[in-house]
Amino acid sequence: MTDHDHKKTARKTAPSTADHRLHIDQLSVLRGMVLVIHNLSHRQSAGDICCLTGPNGAGKSTLLRTIAGRLPAAGGDISCAAPIIYVGHTDGLSGAISGRENLAGWAKINGFSTTETAIDTALSSFATSRFADLPVRVLSRGQRRRLALARLALSPADSLWLLDEPNAGLDQASSRILDDIAQKHAMAGGMVLAATHLDFAAAAKPGSLHLPGLVT
Amino acid sequence: MKPFFAQIERDLLIAWQNRQDLGVMLVFFVIIIALFPLAIGANAPVLDPLGVPVIWIAALLAILAGFDRLFAQDVRDGWLDQIALSQLGLGWYALAKAISHWITAGLPLLIMTPLMAMMLNIPLQQWPPLLVALLIGSMGLTLLGVIGAALAEGARRGTALMALLILPLAVPLLIFGTLASQSDRGIISPHLMLLGAVFALLLALAPLVAASALEIGETETGL
Repeated sequence: MTDHDHKKTARKTAPSTADHRLHIDQLSVLRGMVLVIHNLSHRQSAGDICCLTGPNGAGKSTLLRTIAGRLPAAGGDISCAAPIIYVGHTDGLSGAISGRENLAGWAKINGFSTTETAIDTALSSFATSRFADLPVRVLSRGQRRRLALARLALSPADSLWLLDEPNAGLDQASSRILDDIAQKHAMAGGMVLAATHLDFAAAAKPGSLHLPGLVT
Repeated sequence: MKPFFAQIERDLLIAWQNRQDLGVMLVFFVIIIALFPLAIGANAPVLDPLGVPVIWIAALLAILAGFDRLFAQDVRDGWLDQIALSQLGLGWYALAKAISHWITAGLPLLIMTPLMAMMLNIPLQQWPPLLVALLIGSMGLTLLGVIGAALAEGARRGTALMALLILPLAVPLLIFGTLASQSDRGIISPHLMLLGAVFALLLALAPLVAASALEIGETETGL
Protein backbone atom coordinates (compact mmCIF):
# COMPACT_ATOMS: atom_id res chain seq x y z
CA MET A 1 0.00 0.00 0.00
CA THR A 2 2.82 2.38 0.78
CA ASP A 3 4.22 1.82 -2.67
CA HIS A 4 0.89 2.77 -4.12
CA ASP A 5 0.68 5.91 -1.96
CA HIS A 6 4.08 6.89 -3.07
CA LYS A 7 3.23 6.57 -6.74
CA LYS A 8 0.06 8.52 -6.25
CA THR A 9 1.71 11.48 -4.58
CA ALA A 10 4.57 11.39 -7.04
CA ARG A 11 2.12 11.83 -9.88
CA LYS A 12 0.46 14.77 -8.24
CA THR A 13 3.47 16.54 -6.79
CA ALA A 14 4.94 19.01 -9.17
CA PRO A 15 8.22 20.89 -9.13
CA SER A 16 6.67 23.96 -7.53
CA THR A 17 7.70 26.88 -9.66
CA ALA A 18 6.65 30.24 -8.24
CA ASP A 19 3.83 30.04 -5.74
CA HIS A 20 1.40 28.18 -7.91
CA ARG A 21 0.26 24.93 -6.41
CA LEU A 22 -2.18 23.98 -9.17
CA HIS A 23 -0.86 24.09 -12.72
CA ILE A 24 -2.97 23.33 -15.75
CA ASP A 25 -1.16 23.70 -19.05
CA GLN A 26 -2.73 23.46 -22.49
CA LEU A 27 -5.23 20.92 -21.24
CA SER A 28 -7.54 19.16 -23.69
CA VAL A 29 -10.14 16.59 -22.68
CA LEU A 30 -12.25 14.38 -24.91
CA ARG A 31 -15.65 12.97 -23.96
CA GLY A 32 -16.52 10.36 -26.55
CA MET A 33 -15.77 12.07 -29.86
CA VAL A 34 -16.32 15.59 -28.56
CA LEU A 35 -13.48 17.87 -27.57
CA VAL A 36 -14.98 19.33 -24.41
CA ILE A 37 -11.97 21.24 -23.13
CA HIS A 38 -9.50 22.70 -25.56
CA ASN A 39 -6.12 24.20 -24.68
CA LEU A 40 -7.07 25.37 -21.23
CA SER A 41 -4.42 26.84 -18.98
CA HIS A 42 -4.98 27.82 -15.39
CA ARG A 43 -2.90 28.63 -12.33
CA GLN A 44 -3.89 28.71 -8.73
CA SER A 45 -1.83 29.34 -5.63
CA ALA A 46 -2.44 28.89 -1.93
CA GLY A 47 -5.29 31.07 -0.72
CA ASP A 48 -7.08 31.32 -4.06
CA ILE A 49 -10.78 30.76 -4.52
CA CYS A 50 -11.78 30.34 -8.14
CA CYS A 51 -15.29 30.08 -9.55
CA LEU A 52 -15.64 27.94 -12.63
CA THR A 53 -18.41 29.35 -14.79
CA GLY A 54 -19.91 28.54 -18.16
CA PRO A 55 -23.10 27.25 -19.77
CA ASN A 56 -24.35 23.66 -19.36
CA GLY A 57 -22.11 21.25 -21.19
CA ALA A 58 -19.18 23.64 -21.22
CA GLY A 59 -17.06 21.07 -19.42
CA LYS A 60 -17.09 22.31 -15.84
CA SER A 61 -17.68 18.89 -14.30
CA THR A 62 -15.31 17.34 -16.84
CA LEU A 63 -12.55 19.73 -15.82
CA LEU A 64 -13.04 19.02 -12.12
CA ARG A 65 -13.05 15.27 -12.70
CA THR A 66 -9.94 15.52 -14.83
CA ILE A 67 -8.11 17.43 -12.10
CA ALA A 68 -9.29 14.80 -9.62
CA GLY A 69 -7.67 12.17 -11.85
CA ARG A 70 -10.98 10.49 -12.69
CA LEU A 71 -10.78 11.26 -16.42
CA PRO A 72 -7.75 11.07 -18.66
CA ALA A 73 -6.46 14.20 -20.36
CA ALA A 74 -6.18 13.98 -24.15
CA GLY A 75 -3.37 16.50 -24.09
CA GLY A 76 -1.60 18.92 -21.80
CA ASP A 77 -0.53 18.70 -18.20
CA ILE A 78 -2.08 18.94 -14.80
CA SER A 79 -0.06 19.04 -11.65
CA CYS A 80 -1.26 19.72 -8.19
CA ALA A 81 0.98 20.02 -5.14
CA ALA A 82 -1.83 19.70 -2.63
CA PRO A 83 -4.13 16.93 -1.45
CA ILE A 84 -7.38 16.96 -3.43
CA ILE A 85 -10.84 16.84 -1.86
CA TYR A 86 -13.58 16.29 -4.42
CA VAL A 87 -17.27 16.80 -3.79
CA GLY A 88 -19.02 15.90 -7.04
CA HIS A 89 -22.69 16.06 -7.83
CA THR A 90 -23.06 12.56 -6.53
CA ASP A 91 -22.53 12.87 -2.82
CA GLY A 92 -20.56 9.69 -2.22
CA LEU A 93 -22.90 8.63 0.57
CA SER A 94 -24.38 5.17 0.97
CA GLY A 95 -28.13 5.31 1.60
CA ALA A 96 -28.10 2.25 3.83
CA ILE A 97 -25.96 3.64 6.64
CA SER A 98 -26.07 6.86 8.65
CA GLY A 99 -24.37 10.12 7.77
CA ARG A 100 -22.03 9.70 10.71
CA GLU A 101 -20.95 6.23 9.56
CA ASN A 102 -20.48 7.54 6.02
CA LEU A 103 -18.32 10.41 7.21
CA ALA A 104 -16.25 8.28 9.60
CA GLY A 105 -15.64 5.69 6.86
CA TRP A 106 -14.53 8.41 4.48
CA ALA A 107 -12.15 9.87 7.07
CA LYS A 108 -10.66 6.42 7.68
CA ILE A 109 -9.98 5.56 4.07
CA ASN A 110 -8.26 8.93 3.70
CA GLY A 111 -6.29 8.59 6.90
CA PHE A 112 -7.79 11.76 8.42
CA SER A 113 -8.64 12.21 12.06
CA THR A 114 -11.47 9.92 13.11
CA THR A 115 -11.81 10.82 16.76
CA GLU A 116 -15.33 11.32 18.06
CA THR A 117 -14.77 15.06 18.50
CA ALA A 118 -13.33 15.53 15.00
CA ILE A 119 -16.34 13.79 13.44
CA ASP A 120 -18.76 15.72 15.66
CA THR A 121 -17.16 19.04 14.77
CA ALA A 122 -17.30 18.21 11.08
CA LEU A 123 -20.94 17.19 11.33
CA SER A 124 -21.87 20.38 13.15
CA SER A 125 -20.08 22.56 10.56
CA PHE A 126 -23.11 22.27 8.29
CA ALA A 127 -25.55 21.83 11.17
CA THR A 128 -26.13 18.19 10.30
CA SER A 129 -25.93 16.83 13.86
CA ARG A 130 -29.71 16.58 14.15
CA PHE A 131 -30.05 14.05 11.30
CA ALA A 132 -26.55 12.57 11.20
CA ASP A 133 -27.63 9.33 12.82
CA LEU A 134 -30.49 8.57 10.44
CA PRO A 135 -29.93 6.33 7.42
CA VAL A 136 -29.03 8.59 4.51
CA ARG A 137 -31.81 7.23 2.27
CA VAL A 138 -34.49 8.99 4.34
CA LEU A 139 -32.79 12.39 4.01
CA SER A 140 -33.63 15.12 1.54
CA ARG A 141 -31.40 16.22 -1.31
CA GLY A 142 -30.16 19.25 0.61
CA GLN A 143 -29.48 17.29 3.78
CA ARG A 144 -27.35 14.81 1.84
CA ARG A 145 -25.45 17.65 0.26
CA ARG A 146 -24.72 19.09 3.68
CA LEU A 147 -23.39 15.72 4.87
CA ALA A 148 -21.19 15.48 1.77
CA LEU A 149 -19.87 19.00 2.38
CA ALA A 150 -19.19 18.19 6.04
CA ARG A 151 -16.16 16.28 4.70
CA LEU A 152 -14.50 19.59 3.95
CA ALA A 153 -14.14 20.25 7.67
CA LEU A 154 -11.95 17.15 8.02
CA SER A 155 -9.61 17.97 5.15
CA PRO A 156 -6.03 19.17 5.61
CA ALA A 157 -5.54 22.96 5.64
CA ASP A 158 -3.53 23.07 2.40
CA SER A 159 -5.88 20.92 0.36
CA LEU A 160 -7.49 21.80 -2.96
CA TRP A 161 -11.27 21.62 -2.81
CA LEU A 162 -12.95 20.69 -6.08
CA LEU A 163 -16.63 21.46 -5.67
CA ASP A 164 -19.14 20.57 -8.37
CA GLU A 165 -22.31 22.65 -8.00
CA PRO A 166 -21.84 22.81 -4.23
CA ASN A 167 -24.94 24.96 -3.73
CA ALA A 168 -27.30 22.60 -5.54
CA GLY A 169 -30.11 21.76 -3.15
CA LEU A 170 -28.72 23.87 -0.32
CA ASP A 171 -30.90 26.34 1.56
CA GLN A 172 -29.71 29.94 2.00
CA ALA A 173 -28.33 29.43 5.48
CA SER A 174 -26.23 26.48 4.36
CA SER A 175 -25.01 28.38 1.30
CA ARG A 176 -23.79 31.11 3.60
CA ILE A 177 -22.03 28.53 5.78
CA LEU A 178 -20.37 27.16 2.65
CA ASP A 179 -19.20 30.64 1.68
CA ASP A 180 -17.77 31.16 5.14
CA ILE A 181 -16.02 27.82 5.23
CA ALA A 182 -14.52 28.33 1.78
CA GLN A 183 -13.17 31.74 2.73
CA LYS A 184 -11.71 30.45 5.99
CA HIS A 185 -10.10 27.60 4.09
CA ALA A 186 -8.54 30.07 1.64
CA MET A 187 -7.27 32.24 4.46
CA ALA A 188 -5.63 29.22 6.06
CA GLY A 189 -3.72 28.60 2.83
CA GLY A 190 -6.07 26.24 1.05
CA MET A 191 -7.46 26.43 -2.48
CA VAL A 192 -11.00 26.18 -3.81
CA LEU A 193 -12.14 25.56 -7.36
CA ALA A 194 -15.92 25.54 -7.56
CA ALA A 195 -18.16 25.02 -10.56
CA THR A 196 -21.32 26.96 -9.94
CA HIS A 197 -24.11 28.92 -11.60
CA LEU A 198 -24.87 30.79 -8.42
CA ASP A 199 -23.05 33.46 -6.48
CA PHE A 200 -20.38 31.77 -4.51
CA ALA A 201 -17.81 33.19 -2.16
CA ALA A 202 -18.04 36.87 -3.00
CA ALA A 203 -14.37 37.23 -2.15
CA ALA A 204 -13.40 34.91 -4.98
CA LYS A 205 -9.87 35.63 -6.06
CA PRO A 206 -8.46 35.52 -8.72
CA GLY A 207 -12.11 35.67 -9.73
CA SER A 208 -13.42 33.17 -12.14
CA LEU A 209 -12.39 30.85 -14.88
CA HIS A 210 -14.89 30.93 -17.71
CA LEU A 211 -15.41 28.00 -20.04
CA PRO A 212 -16.97 29.31 -23.25
CA GLY A 213 -18.83 26.18 -24.27
CA LEU A 214 -18.56 23.54 -26.95
CA VAL A 215 -15.53 23.61 -29.19
CA THR A 216 -16.49 21.92 -32.41
CA MET B 1 -3.91 -1.10 6.47
CA LYS B 2 -6.44 1.06 8.30
CA PRO B 3 -8.19 2.35 5.15
CA PHE B 4 -8.44 -1.24 3.91
CA PHE B 5 -10.27 -2.41 7.02
CA ALA B 6 -12.37 0.74 7.01
CA GLN B 7 -13.68 -0.24 3.57
CA ILE B 8 -14.50 -3.77 4.78
CA GLU B 9 -16.20 -2.33 7.85
CA ARG B 10 -18.28 0.01 5.67
CA ASP B 11 -19.37 -2.82 3.37
CA LEU B 12 -20.32 -5.02 6.30
CA LEU B 13 -22.36 -2.18 7.82
CA ILE B 14 -24.18 -1.71 4.51
CA ALA B 15 -24.67 -5.46 4.11
CA TRP B 16 -26.14 -5.65 7.60
CA GLN B 17 -28.66 -2.94 6.72
CA ASN B 18 -29.56 -4.88 3.55
CA ARG B 19 -29.59 -8.24 5.26
CA GLN B 20 -32.72 -9.42 3.49
CA ASP B 21 -30.52 -9.87 0.39
CA LEU B 22 -28.61 -12.53 2.31
CA GLY B 23 -31.84 -14.38 3.02
CA VAL B 24 -32.75 -14.36 -0.67
CA MET B 25 -29.35 -15.81 -1.56
CA LEU B 26 -29.59 -18.59 1.03
CA VAL B 27 -33.12 -19.52 0.00
CA PHE B 28 -31.95 -19.65 -3.62
CA PHE B 29 -29.16 -22.03 -2.58
CA VAL B 30 -31.52 -24.30 -0.64
CA ILE B 31 -34.16 -24.33 -3.38
CA ILE B 32 -31.74 -25.36 -6.13
CA ILE B 33 -30.56 -28.24 -3.97
CA ALA B 34 -34.08 -29.24 -2.95
CA LEU B 35 -35.24 -29.32 -6.58
CA PHE B 36 -32.94 -32.19 -7.52
CA PRO B 37 -34.46 -34.90 -5.27
CA LEU B 38 -37.91 -33.62 -6.23
CA ALA B 39 -37.18 -33.96 -9.93
CA ILE B 40 -35.30 -37.23 -9.81
CA GLY B 41 -37.27 -38.97 -7.10
CA ALA B 42 -36.15 -39.11 -3.49
CA ASN B 43 -35.42 -42.83 -3.32
CA ALA B 44 -33.57 -43.22 -6.57
CA PRO B 45 -30.07 -44.72 -6.11
CA VAL B 46 -28.88 -42.30 -8.79
CA LEU B 47 -29.08 -39.49 -6.19
CA ASP B 48 -26.16 -40.78 -4.13
CA PRO B 49 -23.35 -39.80 -6.50
CA LEU B 50 -25.17 -36.55 -7.30
CA GLY B 51 -25.00 -35.05 -3.81
CA VAL B 52 -21.63 -33.31 -3.95
CA PRO B 53 -21.95 -31.96 -7.51
CA VAL B 54 -25.40 -30.59 -6.73
CA ILE B 55 -24.09 -28.68 -3.72
CA TRP B 56 -21.25 -27.28 -5.82
CA ILE B 57 -23.47 -26.12 -8.66
CA ALA B 58 -25.92 -24.56 -6.24
CA ALA B 59 -23.08 -22.78 -4.41
CA LEU B 60 -21.60 -21.54 -7.69
CA LEU B 61 -24.92 -20.12 -8.89
CA ALA B 62 -25.83 -18.62 -5.52
CA ILE B 63 -22.45 -16.89 -5.12
CA LEU B 64 -22.29 -15.54 -8.66
CA ALA B 65 -25.93 -14.40 -8.62
CA GLY B 66 -25.14 -11.90 -5.87
CA PHE B 67 -22.58 -10.00 -7.86
CA ASP B 68 -24.45 -7.76 -10.25
CA ARG B 69 -24.71 -4.91 -7.75
CA LEU B 70 -21.29 -5.25 -6.14
CA PHE B 71 -19.81 -2.08 -7.65
CA ALA B 72 -22.92 -0.53 -9.21
CA GLN B 73 -24.11 1.05 -5.98
CA ASP B 74 -20.71 2.55 -5.17
CA VAL B 75 -20.42 3.99 -8.68
CA ARG B 76 -23.90 5.52 -8.54
CA ASP B 77 -23.33 6.97 -5.07
CA GLY B 78 -20.04 8.53 -6.17
CA TRP B 79 -18.16 6.51 -3.56
CA LEU B 80 -15.79 5.20 -6.21
CA ASP B 81 -14.63 8.78 -6.91
CA GLN B 82 -13.80 9.16 -3.24
CA ILE B 83 -11.95 5.83 -3.25
CA ALA B 84 -9.89 6.79 -6.29
CA LEU B 85 -8.71 9.96 -4.53
CA SER B 86 -8.07 8.26 -1.19
CA GLN B 87 -5.10 6.39 0.18
CA LEU B 88 -6.84 3.12 -0.51
CA GLY B 89 -6.56 2.80 -4.28
CA LEU B 90 -8.78 0.70 -6.52
CA GLY B 91 -6.86 -2.58 -6.20
CA TRP B 92 -7.10 -2.74 -2.42
CA TYR B 93 -10.66 -1.52 -2.70
CA ALA B 94 -11.52 -4.47 -4.98
CA LEU B 95 -9.87 -6.90 -2.55
CA ALA B 96 -11.78 -5.38 0.37
CA LYS B 97 -14.99 -5.79 -1.62
CA ALA B 98 -14.14 -9.46 -2.25
CA ILE B 99 -13.52 -10.11 1.44
CA SER B 100 -16.67 -8.41 2.64
CA HIS B 101 -18.72 -10.14 -0.05
CA TRP B 102 -17.32 -13.51 0.94
CA ILE B 103 -18.14 -12.85 4.60
CA THR B 104 -21.72 -11.93 3.74
CA ALA B 105 -22.37 -14.54 1.03
CA GLY B 106 -19.76 -17.33 1.04
CA LEU B 107 -19.59 -17.85 4.79
CA PRO B 108 -23.35 -18.23 5.43
CA LEU B 109 -23.48 -20.63 2.52
CA LEU B 110 -20.70 -22.69 4.03
CA ILE B 111 -22.56 -22.77 7.33
CA MET B 112 -25.66 -24.04 5.54
CA THR B 113 -23.73 -26.76 3.74
CA PRO B 114 -23.75 -29.44 6.51
CA LEU B 115 -27.52 -29.15 6.59
CA MET B 116 -27.69 -29.62 2.83
CA ALA B 117 -25.24 -32.52 3.01
CA MET B 118 -27.51 -34.18 5.54
CA MET B 119 -30.51 -33.60 3.30
CA LEU B 120 -28.74 -35.19 0.33
CA ASN B 121 -27.59 -38.10 2.49
CA ILE B 122 -23.89 -37.51 1.89
CA PRO B 123 -21.88 -39.92 4.13
CA LEU B 124 -20.35 -38.28 7.18
CA GLN B 125 -16.74 -39.08 6.26
CA GLN B 126 -17.15 -36.99 3.10
CA TRP B 127 -18.12 -33.84 4.98
CA PRO B 128 -14.60 -32.63 5.91
CA PRO B 129 -13.21 -32.78 2.34
CA LEU B 130 -16.43 -31.21 1.03
CA LEU B 131 -16.32 -28.33 3.50
CA VAL B 132 -12.63 -27.61 3.02
CA ALA B 133 -12.94 -27.69 -0.76
CA LEU B 134 -16.04 -25.53 -0.63
CA LEU B 135 -14.24 -23.05 1.64
CA ILE B 136 -11.46 -22.53 -0.90
CA GLY B 137 -13.81 -22.82 -3.84
CA SER B 138 -16.21 -20.18 -2.52
CA MET B 139 -13.34 -17.75 -1.99
CA GLY B 140 -12.13 -18.40 -5.54
CA LEU B 141 -15.63 -17.91 -6.95
CA THR B 142 -15.93 -14.65 -5.03
CA LEU B 143 -12.72 -13.36 -6.61
CA LEU B 144 -13.98 -14.37 -10.05
CA GLY B 145 -17.22 -12.58 -9.35
CA VAL B 146 -15.31 -9.43 -8.44
CA ILE B 147 -13.56 -9.52 -11.81
CA GLY B 148 -16.86 -10.05 -13.59
CA ALA B 149 -18.65 -7.31 -11.67
CA ALA B 150 -15.85 -4.85 -12.39
CA LEU B 151 -15.82 -5.72 -16.11
CA ALA B 152 -19.58 -5.53 -16.38
CA GLU B 153 -19.67 -2.17 -14.57
CA GLY B 154 -20.45 0.40 -17.19
CA ALA B 155 -21.71 -2.13 -19.72
CA ARG B 156 -25.41 -1.67 -20.15
CA ARG B 157 -26.50 -5.26 -19.88
CA GLY B 158 -24.02 -5.95 -17.14
CA THR B 159 -25.58 -8.96 -15.51
CA ALA B 160 -26.01 -11.07 -18.62
CA LEU B 161 -22.54 -10.12 -19.79
CA MET B 162 -21.10 -11.12 -16.46
CA ALA B 163 -22.64 -14.59 -16.55
CA LEU B 164 -21.19 -15.14 -20.02
CA LEU B 165 -17.75 -13.96 -18.91
CA ILE B 166 -17.50 -15.66 -15.59
CA LEU B 167 -19.22 -19.03 -15.88
CA PRO B 168 -16.60 -20.49 -18.28
CA LEU B 169 -13.84 -19.23 -15.99
CA ALA B 170 -15.47 -20.95 -13.05
CA VAL B 171 -15.06 -24.36 -14.71
CA PRO B 172 -11.59 -25.16 -13.25
CA LEU B 173 -12.82 -24.31 -9.77
CA LEU B 174 -15.84 -26.53 -10.28
CA ILE B 175 -13.83 -29.49 -11.61
CA PHE B 176 -11.11 -29.43 -8.97
CA GLY B 177 -13.62 -28.59 -6.28
CA THR B 178 -15.95 -31.49 -6.92
CA LEU B 179 -13.05 -33.94 -7.30
CA ALA B 180 -11.45 -32.72 -4.06
CA SER B 181 -14.81 -32.99 -2.28
CA GLN B 182 -15.18 -36.62 -3.31
CA SER B 183 -11.65 -37.55 -2.36
CA ASP B 184 -11.38 -40.88 -0.54
CA ARG B 185 -7.83 -40.17 0.60
CA GLY B 186 -8.55 -37.66 3.35
CA ILE B 187 -8.83 -33.91 3.16
CA ILE B 188 -5.52 -33.07 1.51
CA SER B 189 -5.83 -34.50 -1.98
CA PRO B 190 -4.01 -33.52 -5.18
CA HIS B 191 -7.23 -31.97 -6.41
CA LEU B 192 -7.46 -29.79 -3.34
CA MET B 193 -3.96 -28.55 -4.05
CA LEU B 194 -4.90 -27.72 -7.63
CA LEU B 195 -7.99 -25.95 -6.33
CA GLY B 196 -5.72 -24.02 -3.98
CA ALA B 197 -3.45 -23.12 -6.88
CA VAL B 198 -6.36 -21.70 -8.87
CA PHE B 199 -7.43 -19.74 -5.81
CA ALA B 200 -3.91 -18.38 -5.27
CA LEU B 201 -3.74 -17.27 -8.89
CA LEU B 202 -7.10 -15.52 -8.61
CA LEU B 203 -6.08 -13.88 -5.34
CA ALA B 204 -3.08 -12.33 -7.05
CA LEU B 205 -4.82 -11.34 -10.29
CA ALA B 206 -8.39 -10.43 -9.38
CA PRO B 207 -7.71 -7.13 -7.54
CA LEU B 208 -5.44 -5.90 -10.34
CA VAL B 209 -7.85 -6.88 -13.12
CA ALA B 210 -10.81 -5.42 -11.25
CA ALA B 211 -8.94 -2.17 -10.58
CA SER B 212 -8.05 -1.59 -14.20
CA ALA B 213 -11.55 -2.59 -15.33
CA LEU B 214 -13.06 -0.05 -12.94
CA GLU B 215 -10.68 2.63 -14.17
CA ILE B 216 -11.49 2.00 -17.84
CA GLY B 217 -15.22 1.69 -17.21
CA GLU B 218 -15.16 5.12 -15.62
CA THR B 219 -13.54 6.91 -18.53
CA GLU B 220 -15.82 5.31 -21.12
CA THR B 221 -19.14 5.97 -19.47
CA GLY B 222 -18.58 8.82 -17.00
CA LEU B 223 -20.67 11.93 -16.88
